[in-house]
Amino acid sequence: METWDEHPRGALHAYLDGELSLEGSLAVEEHLVACSRCRQELETYQSLGRLLKSARTTATEAESALERVTRTVRSRRRRFLAIGGVAGLASVAILAVMLVPRTDRMVGQVAVVHARAVNAGRSIELASDDPAAIERWLSARVPGAVTPVAGGDGFALRGARVDSLEGRPVATVVYQVRNHIVDVFAWHSPEADMEPRPSMAGRWTVCRWSHAGVAYWMVSDAGTEDLKALAALIKERRT
Amino acid sequence: MDEDARDFEQFARPHAQAALRLARALVRNEADAQDVLQDSFLRAFRHFRGFSGESPRAWLLAIVRNVSFTLWRRTGVDEPADLEQRLEAEPDPLPSPEARLLESCDADTVHAALDRLPRLHREVLVLREMEECSYREMASILGVPIGTIMSRLSRARAQLVRELVGDPRSRKN
Repeated sequence: METWDEHPRGALHAYLDGELSLEGSLAVEEHLVACSRCRQELETYQSLGRLLKSARTTATEAESALERVTRTVRSRRRRFLAIGGVAGLASVAILAVMLVPRTDRMVGQVAVVHARAVNAGRSIELASDDPAAIERWLSARVPGAVTPVAGGDGFALRGARVDSLEGRPVATVVYQVRNHIVDVFAWHSPEADMEPRPSMAGRWTVCRWSHAGVAYWMVSDAGTEDLKALAALIKERRT
Repeated sequence: MDEDARDFEQFARPHAQAALRLARALVRNEADAQDVLQDSFLRAFRHFRGFSGESPRAWLLAIVRNVSFTLWRRTGVDEPADLEQRLEAEPDPLPSPEARLLESCDADTVHAALDRLPRLHREVLVLREMEECSYREMASILGVPIGTIMSRLSRARAQLVRELVGDPRSRKN
């Protein structure tokens, strides 16, 4: 009686994958002529291979992630080289602020405010996971501050701080997802509802959206999926 | 100049999608996969000037795998260390005359079935069938001998067929 162990199983896979020498391939082919079970086995794995290949997903996000990384290392280096030329840079920045449309400018500003707070270790002025306590604290400092929503779905509510955006004070609510800090700036605004629109500013992901009379800007080093998930959480909790 | 950044982009771009697909297969969660990918690119950038191997793809994918390990260590969701021995101790896969049944499966079914496999099996299947890595590349990515690649692949394929069309051992012939 033949047993399955006598069949060249490892070699069959190597044959299928084109990994055998000419001699090895010939030996397997000789066995296949005589053995219908191995032929069937080979056929099964050939269809499995076709099936897996057809299920291969595209992953174009990977290319934007790569660009994000190379941009980051580039700008880090540039900053380092430019230490001597701060004055020159500052005038370039003023020019840029005058030329860049408001939305793009906001993307940059939001990222700068976030980066400054994170780098200085002052992300949180009030540490709390209680939305009511955060609202009381914020309302005393920023007129018309928007009530934050509690954490959930992997997002922890960490606290709040007050920033200045385009010359006016703004309430910043801080969440954390895994090891990423997410800042959410929110204010009452008459603009129509808008789905989250992510964009990149250096290594930061910025995402703006509006819902039910509130405009939101979110910024983090987390990816766009995370920011969209937080937007969904806030939307759900506020309706 | 930004020569390093530009060179790195050229070096890594052809393999970027493969890197994300492997990250997805390993961590099974889009947000974590994106984190793993970004971290892998940063590490690869720091070291790519010293790369002297034959396959940039294998080198990059090995980094993706290592970064995933650190994530597992942090979150404590990795599989037990003796998994390989336990998989090896299972009876040899039986022949599975199911070619026709496989043809009716769609992509979602395939991904769901892959997600149910142990990581050791998932990764060899993704590397071989989706990325078309050679055994040599796989051996270098996974840090095991080519013989191990062959036996893992053989078990992984048999197990995936069982996941997709049911266990032939539980059927009457």
